[in-house]
Amino acid sequence: MSTQPATDTSIITPTPARRPQSRRFTEDRSKHIFILPAVILILLFSIFPLLFSFTLSFMSWDLSRLAGGVRFIGLTNFLTLVNDARFWNTARVTLMFVVGGVTLQYIIGLGVAILLNQEIRFRRFFRVVFLMPMMLTPAAVAYGGRMLFNEGQGPLNDIIKFFGGPQIPWFSSPTLALPSLILLDTWEWTPFVMIVLLAGLQSLPPEVFEAARVDGASDWQSFRHITFPMLAPVSVTVILIRALEAFKLFDIAVVMTGGGPGTSTEAVTMYAYQVGLKNGNLGYASAIAYALLIMVIISSTVFLRTMRQRAVATAE
Amino acid sequence: MHMTMRQTRRIKLSVTYILLAVWTAICLFPIYWLVITSIKQPIAVFQGPTYLPWVDFQPTLNAWKFLLAGPVSSQVSRSWLNSAIMAPSSAALAVGIGSLAGYALTRFQYFIPGLKWRNNDLAFWIISQRMLPPVVVILPYLIMYQVLGLVDTHVGMILIYTVFNLPFAVWIMRDFFAGLPRDLEESALIDGASRFQAFRIIVLPLAAPGLIATFLFCLMFSWNDYLFALMLTFSKATTMPMFVAGMGSQSYGPQWWYLSALSLLTIAPMMLIALLIERYITRGLIVGAIK
Repeated sequence: MSTQPATDTSIITPTPARRPQSRRFTEDRSKHIFILPAVILILLFSIFPLLFSFTLSFMSWDLSRLAGGVRFIGLTNFLTLVNDARFWNTARVTLMFVVGGVTLQYIIGLGVAILLNQEIRFRRFFRVVFLMPMMLTPAAVAYGGRMLFNEGQGPLNDIIKFFGGPQIPWFSSPTLALPSLILLDTWEWTPFVMIVLLAGLQSLPPEVFEAARVDGASDWQSFRHITFPMLAPVSVTVILIRALEAFKLFDIAVVMTGGGPGTSTEAVTMYAYQVGLKNGNLGYASAIAYALLIMVIISSTVFLRTMRQRAVATAE
Repeated sequence: MHMTMRQTRRIKLSVTYILLAVWTAICLFPIYWLVITSIKQPIAVFQGPTYLPWVDFQPTLNAWKFLLAGPVSSQVSRSWLNSAIMAPSSAALAVGIGSLAGYALTRFQYFIPGLKWRNNDLAFWIISQRMLPPVVVILPYLIMYQVLGLVDTHVGMILIYTVFNLPFAVWIMRDFFAGLPRDLEESALIDGASRFQAFRIIVLPLAAPGLIATFLFCLMFSWNDYLFALMLTFSKATTMPMFVAGMGSQSYGPQWWYLSALSLLTIAPMMLIALLIERYITRGLIVGAIK
C-alpha cells in the first residue's frame, strides 16, 4: 500500500523516545475520535430524551390548557394509569399480539428454514421470495392486509368459500380483529425468523446427524433430540429480537384497524400517541410510554430467565 | 429395500416442493393483489374479488395516471423524493459513523472508570438502544426539535434516522471488522500511516461487502419508518409511508385502486433491495452478528 516513505526513515534515523510517544498520543486521540461521534449522538438522542420523558411522567403538562403550564404532580400520572381500564386493555392487546405473533412466526419460520436447509433446486429464487415480505413498508403492507381481509371484496373469504368454509368477519369482529393483525404481522416477519434459523441450521455440525442416521434415528427423532436442542440459543435470540420489535406495534395497527373495532386492537404505543399528541397531555403520555418500557423489560427478563432455567434443567 | 428408500425420498422431496410452493404463493399473493387492484376499475373492485386481468376484469391504468399525472402528482412525487433523499443520506451517515465506532470497538481498548465498562459493555449499551420502544423518546424529540427548529425539515429527519440506525450499524460493523485480518493495517501503521489513513485506505475497501449490506439494511429501516415521520413532519418533509397512511384515512377512504398503486410505489424500491440484499444475508454476514 502507498504510505509515505518519508516517515519510514524517521524510524531508522534516531529521534529516540519522541516517536513512540507521539505515536501513543495520536493512537489515543484517534481512539476517541473513532468512537465519539457514535457515542455522542446516542447520548444526545437516547439518554437525554429518556431522562426528559422520565421527568415528564411526574409532571402535569397539558397543552390543551393555555395557562397552568408544567406542574410537578408526583406519582399522580402513574396512579391514574393503574386505574385506567383503557390502558390495561392496550397492555393486554400488545402482549397478546407479541406472544401470539412471535409464536406463530417461530413455528412457521422454523418449518420453512428446515425446508430450505435441504438439497433443493431454485434455492436462490425461494430465498429472495421468502425474504421479500420483511423488506416491505409496514404502512403499505397494512393496506394489502385491509384488502385481503375485506369481507365482501377481499380474496381471503372468497378462497375460504371456494373450499366450503364460512365467511369470516375478520376485523369487524372484536375477537377476530387482533388475530387478523397477528396474521399480517406473521406474513411480514416470518422471513426474519426464517433467515436467522436457516443460518443456525447451516452452522450445525453434519457429523451429528450422520451418526444419528446410522443409529437408525427417524427424521422426527433427530429433529426432536438434535436439531431443536442445538438450535436453542439461536431460537432464544431470534424470539427475543422479534418480541422486542413486536412491542413497538404501531403502523400496521393504525392503518389496518385503527385500533378498532372499539379499542379491541389498540396498542400501548397508539394510546400514548393519542394521549400525547391528539389530547396534548404530555405528562400522562410519558407515563404510558414508560409503562411500555417497563413491560418490555419485565417480559424479556422473565423470558430469558425461564429459558436459562430450562437449559439448566435439560442439561442435568 | 433399496427401492422403497428411494421412493420415500422421492415422496419427501415432493412434499418439500409442494410446501415451498405454498409458502411462495403466500409470500407473493398480497403483492400480486396490490398489483391487480391498482389496475382495476372502481366498479370491478366493488363487485367482489376477481383474480385475472383480461379474463376476470378489464384492466385500466387510470389509478396510475391519476397519481403520476393527476392533481396529486406533485404531493406523490414530493413524498417519494423526500423518502428517496432522506433514507439513503441517513443510511450513509449511519454506516459512516457506525463503521468508525465498530472498528474502534475491535481495535482499541476502552475503559470507562465510573461505570467500569469495557468494550463489550459499551457495545451492549449501544445495541440496547435499539430495543427501546420509540414512543418513549418521541415526545422529547418533538420538544427538542421544536426548540431547535428542526420539525418538518430534511436535516432533522436525516438526523433522527441516522441515530435510529446507528446501534444496528455499529453492531454489524463491529462483528464484521472483528473477522478481518489485522496484518495489513498493522504493517501500514508501522510504515507510518495514521490510524485514520490505515482505516480509509486499507480497512474500508476490505469491508466493502459489510458496508453495502449494512447500508441496504439501514436504508430499508429509514424508508419504512412511519412513527417518526408522523410525529416530526407535516408537510415539507413528509415521507412516502406517511403519505400512504394518511391517504387511506383521509379523502381516499376505501378507494383501493389508488391506495394499491400508492402502496406499490412505496414498496417498489424495497423489493429491489430485497433482490440485492439476499446474497449478503446468504453469506451469513448479517445473521452472524445477530447470533
